Amino acid sequence: MVDLEKVISALASNNVEFVIVGGVAIKLHSSGYITVDLDFCYSRSKENIIRLVSALKPFSPKPRNFPAELPYIFDESTLGQATNFTFETSIGDLDLLGEVKGVGDYSAVLSRSVVFEIYGSRINALDLDALIDAKTAADRPKDHLALPELYALREALDPNED
Amino acid sequence: MKRTPEEKLLNPRPGSRIAAARDFGIDLSLTVSQLRLTPQERIDNLQSSMSFVAELDRARKKGPIAKGKQ
Repeated sequence: MVDLEKVISALASNNVEFVIVGGVAIKLHSSGYITVDLDFCYSRSKENIIRLVSALKPFSPKPRNFPAELPYIFDESTLGQATNFTFETSIGDLDLLGEVKGVGDYSAVLSRSVVFEIYGSRINALDLDALIDAKTAADRPKDHLALPELYALREALDPNED
Repeated sequence: MKRTPEEKLLNPRPGSRIAAARDFGIDLSLTVSQLRLTPQERIDNLQSSMSFVAELDRARKKGPIAKGKQ
């Protein structure tokens, strides 16, 4: 399981530009959904990747299921070689997404986010409409299980719906 | 008078998305419980749930430790 306080505090204190997506974002919108990892979309600017490496390096990220006997270097160069990563770290599993299917890159994701106060920091998370679009685009069985509650929440929170 | 989100979730209008979620099997009383919390409380609640899932996983890996008594 991921230690949410440690990872969110590390990202916030290093001024990483990121938006929480996936199960934790769903939970922030009042779903009963349970997840055990943290997915976030990050800006792929050079400066942000430097900040992201500073924030996460103390937790020794490695690709999930990476052979234990092989060395892995987590640095700016590594993050420059791809867009999306699934890491295991000393504080749990993290998915780093440069793009979110159904929504777009970081700027598109940021424009469809809302701000929550968590652990004393202002943290962006994908809004309900964008979460529905992301889950619809992901189109896995677990996404289909999450969608009915997301639609229900959107309807319940819409002041124009009764 | 407009209904609150909580009222809508607990008494969904027939044909609504909320009614569809209830019929799909979503326990909307849990959703209402989450709505009553602050975002920080929802995250704390999620962290507790993660700990519980991790404990269940440890028990699963260990396997049954005895046969239940009849």
